[in-house]
Amino acid sequence: MAAQPEPDAGQEAAFAVATPAAARRERILLVVAAVALVLLVVVPLTSTDQAQSAGLPLLVDRYWFRVATIVAMFVVISAAWNLIGGLAGYPAFGNVVYFGIGAYAVALLVTRYHWSFAAALAGSVVAPAAFAGLIGVPLLRLRGHYFAVASLGVAVAVGEVINNLDYFGGASGIFMPIVRSDLLFYYLMLGAALLAVAITWVVLRTRFGYGLIAIREDESAAAVMGVNTTVYKIAAYALSAALTGLAGGIYAQWNVFVNQDVAFNIDVSIDSILMALIGGIGTIWGPVLGAVVLEFLIQTFSGRGDLAVVTQIGLGLLLTVAVIFLPRGVVDFLGGRSSLTLAYVRRTLRSSGV
Amino acid sequence: MNWGEQVVLGLLLGGVYVAVGLGFSLVWGVLNIVNLAYGAMVMIGGYVTWLLFTHTGIDPFLGIPVNVVVLFAIGYALQYVVVNRVVRAPFLYTFLITFGLDLVIVNALLLIFKPDFRSVTTWYSGAALSVGPILVPYIRLWSLLVAWALAAVMWWILNRTRTGDAIQAVGSDRDAAQLVGVSLSRTYALTFGLGAACAGVAGALIATYQAITPTAGEPYTLQAFVVVILGGLGRVSATVVGGMLFGLVQVLAQSAPHLGAGYQNAIAFGVLVLVLLLRPQGLLGRAV
Repeated sequence: MAAQPEPDAGQEAAFAVATPAAARRERILLVVAAVALVLLVVVPLTSTDQAQSAGLPLLVDRYWFRVATIVAMFVVISAAWNLIGGLAGYPAFGNVVYFGIGAYAVALLVTRYHWSFAAALAGSVVAPAAFAGLIGVPLLRLRGHYFAVASLGVAVAVGEVINNLDYFGGASGIFMPIVRSDLLFYYLMLGAALLAVAITWVVLRTRFGYGLIAIREDESAAAVMGVNTTVYKIAAYALSAALTGLAGGIYAQWNVFVNQDVAFNIDVSIDSILMALIGGIGTIWGPVLGAVVLEFLIQTFSGRGDLAVVTQIGLGLLLTVAVIFLPRGVVDFLGGRSSLTLAYVRRTLRSSGV
Repeated sequence: MNWGEQVVLGLLLGGVYVAVGLGFSLVWGVLNIVNLAYGAMVMIGGYVTWLLFTHTGIDPFLGIPVNVVVLFAIGYALQYVVVNRVVRAPFLYTFLITFGLDLVIVNALLLIFKPDFRSVTTWYSGAALSVGPILVPYIRLWSLLVAWALAAVMWWILNRTRTGDAIQAVGSDRDAAQLVGVSLSRTYALTFGLGAACAGVAGALIATYQAITPTAGEPYTLQAFVVVILGGLGRVSATVVGGMLFGLVQVLAQSAPHLGAGYQNAIAFGVLVLVLLLRPQGLLGRAV
């Protein structure tokens, strides 16, 4: 009765044949991205004491840093999910487990073993990747809904085990020594986001990336073609885990405190998948756009009391409408091949609806 | 606590999981949709029961037909207006859209009912039947019986009516079903409505022993997952076995030495992952 999920026509946008027009768009996009990056690196420097005493205008405040760092964090997590969920087509619903393992790795290494934060960050990359490599062996034998649920189960279970063991600080969590620097954590997250995008870019241009896409489109066919599907899938999963863990490690020190609720919050998984989907899964820029748009919306409209509740309703409606009308993601929509005309809506409805 | 009592309690709890799992399994099996708004629908059922009980004094068990009608209507409308548009899309899109619905329902409940705890306390809520040394709370016993009755009704609808034939046909091959004259969108909406009605019954049962809040339904979505995978997808009997077994696992895990309540989810999901690896089609499922 359970039909296999149908291959997604929209994902073809990720590796469309480069026409001259597409190449021109890509160049324009790269220039825009480069300018944005320079601004993102330079503008926050106006907050330093030197810049302020030199009379430069203060362009960013603490709130800006908070939002920007969280957006960068979700770019990392969403791009990392995109590697396993978007490219390999294995929709991991519990990637937050690697965020949590990364966060706990930093917290433990810093407080219990007195490593420096920089050295501990290496731990937040290695530990999640190792765990993913091990658990990935049985997990990645499952497909579709089953893989999604099993990966979610692993996240819930690991979070609960950590919550119960004294070694991990139990339910009261772990407090870390405070490092006060908005700039440091902002730059770290921004760097991690760049790394995640760069890794996606590289992967999409290598044999590894083509192998993953082949697995997504038809795993048996990929195996026949000589792709070692097991190794490819586990490698993609471990890479995804390493990046997610890095974000968790940075977040742990930034937040100064970790416990189960902070480190293993399932919403992180769900949000990052929504971001990739809204932006366009399987694409380089999809997770970036999705993270920026969605997290910005969430941060802007998060109020208190009834307003927050109404905001959540609006968010839910937005998601529903976005899936129905822009199922291929914003990147495909902005890709220039289509504009928001009735014809576009009708076409996407036809390809996704009944 | 002795083991006999634990087993009885586990089986009683399993009744609720049967009710929770039935609707989830039907929608997943026939529509290939994992409904992330399922727990929210269970809570709508809980609020229907609470409203009936506090405003008109209707007994939670006697009010179940109202739950069925209200939730069926909501489910039918949701499927017809929203979900039908993505039913053929890859499953991630259905995850996304049902997650959006979940956000809308949970927060609408928050607006209407506020985050306060609401409970339904009947005159027999504390009473228990003593069977030898074992105390069996009446509400748990009624819940189990209602859940079994629901399973029987669902089995009858799916296997002994024309509507059921249409649903099963769509579940096994929608194109062929359409060819022989089954209306897809209507059958989808009916299936989703029936699934929601099961959620409504589950909500009524849950309201009798647990406080209701807008967010209290969340765990039931995950638990419905586990129940369906334990038993196997797409068959009423499989869901009954999965639900009863999950109730047992939950209760026994809580009382296991050195573990206690803290590991309830870890053990449940550990079992889930084991089942998925050793027997992915579920204990009673057909080979996929």
